Amino acid sequence: MWPVGGPLRGGLVVALAVWTWSLLPGAALPAAAQGVPVGTAQNAVGTLVVVRTDGIEHRLQGRGSLPLFEGDVLRTEAGGQALIQLRPGMPVALNEKTTLRLLSRWDKTTGTMRILRVRQGEVWVKAGDGARQLEIETPTAVAAARDAEVDLKVAEDGQSVLTVVQGAAEFGTPFGVCSVKGGTASVGARGAACTTPQPANAQTTVSWKQAVAP
Amino acid sequence: MRRIRTFRWTRSALAITSLTALGGCAELQSKEPEVSGSRVFVANESSNSVTVVDGDSFQVVGTVDSRNHATHDLAVSRDGRWLFATNLASGRLSAINTRALETVASIATGDRAHVVTLTNDNRQAWVANIGENTISIVDTTTFRILGTIAVGKGPTGLTFSRDGRFAYVSNQGDKTVEVIDTASHRVLKAIPVGTNPHFLVLGPDGRIWGTNTGGTDIYVIDPGTQDKIASINVGPAPQQIAFGFKGLQGPNAYVTVAGLNRVVVVSTDPQNLRILEQIDVGQRPNGISGNREGTRLFVVHEVSNDLKVIDTGSSSVLATVPVGRKPIRVVYHGS
Repeated sequence: MWPVGGPLRGGLVVALAVWTWSLLPGAALPAAAQGVPVGTAQNAVGTLVVVRTDGIEHRLQGRGSLPLFEGDVLRTEAGGQALIQLRPGMPVALNEKTTLRLLSRWDKTTGTMRILRVRQGEVWVKAGDGARQLEIETPTAVAAARDAEVDLKVAEDGQSVLTVVQGAAEFGTPFGVCSVKGGTASVGARGAACTTPQPANAQTTVSWKQAVAP
Repeated sequence: MRRIRTFRWTRSALAITSLTALGGCAELQSKEPEVSGSRVFVANESSNSVTVVDGDSFQVVGTVDSRNHATHDLAVSRDGRWLFATNLASGRLSAINTRALETVASIATGDRAHVVTLTNDNRQAWVANIGENTISIVDTTTFRILGTIAVGKGPTGLTFSRDGRFAYVSNQGDKTVEVIDTASHRVLKAIPVGTNPHFLVLGPDGRIWGTNTGGTDIYVIDPGTQDKIASINVGPAPQQIAFGFKGLQGPNAYVTVAGLNRVVVVSTDPQNLRILEQIDVGQRPNGISGNREGTRLFVVHEVSNDLKVIDTGSSSVLATVPVGRKPIRVVYHGS
């Protein structure tokens, strides 16, 4: 027979242990595919197609609240645009003919880094610090955004143009890294280091997102 | 090449501090002392783990949870501090700290992440994703994916030339080995090699050695001409290749042949490839690796779930070490 309060006490101990463990640095586990939503799709001009890891497809047209999961592939069509909100507060806009996948990297020290793997198209992202940082991968480059607003356009051949609207972002290819500041743009192409950032009209570059902007 | 740096969120402060201090150092390094003693690492596909064995005493010193599923291939850094493991079912690469015996990062590479190889300077890990026909290029400092390269159907083997100018990728579906120019990341050539090519390794002669796992032969590619220059039948389902010496004889190629439950020993002169010997081992040998001196071979067996240590001088088994379920790959690192 349990002593009075035994099971309850045991449960409290377990709960306390789990809670304490969750506070430890780096205690976060690798993100489980299709487990907990990592964000929501909130608005689409035209149709936003979301393909789950099991191949099931969902479509968002207009405003809504479609949960997004790790591993989802998001796709906009010609003339379409979409706005998604990644947790814990990172708005991402997709321009027309964009295909990307929601991924993450887990690191014991820093926890989970949300990643957009853009195959083709254009995205606008507003990243914060801490858990609201974001990385955008393309076939030829990677951009790391922290406290920054950026636009990344990926051509069919993988060539990638990073325009920083506000703040600064690191932009790397297998051949080098650039620090790109607000109001400048850099290009990453196959077999080459990123180009020296040049002045760019960032507001014009991101004007496309007005139709779906938060 | 400049290095991504300064991002406090990218990896451990220690690693970043060390890399900054070393500034432009060509290899993956930190201020920590090198790992002492030799180690043998075994990827256990059905246990999702890596078994770590002392390379001298042949005792298991630990098991590392890969924090992913279907741990398949391994690559160890030159200094022995880092081990990278592909995970087929997860499509991820695990980064393992070999001192702590702990997985410290999990990196999404691509569907069916199959094999991993470090560039000669250890700055990048290249991962072949068999499910999407790509190579992912992972920065071994930041763990970021720096880019991808589209390759042929079913990339299963990956290695670099001695000078690092070329990468070689075997494609099961195309029955070819593709040559990639590492300066441009362009595919230069596809070399027909045979049925279901799989494992690739740089030989001690500077040539590229590969197995046709769907057939019965191994082959040799000359990086000078980028042609297949020799092949030899060794038996059904040749898996992997390591190199070693038998006394004065060698270097020899030691090939695990799953269909024979043997390691077949082949001379390495491409003008005169011939079978020298066959060594009985366990059931379905797959991974094989040799020590630096070429006197010991480590062979893992998918069915009997063990590692056999072979003395190349006597061609005899010195020890049998139980490992995890379905061991696929084994790599050795000596201090």
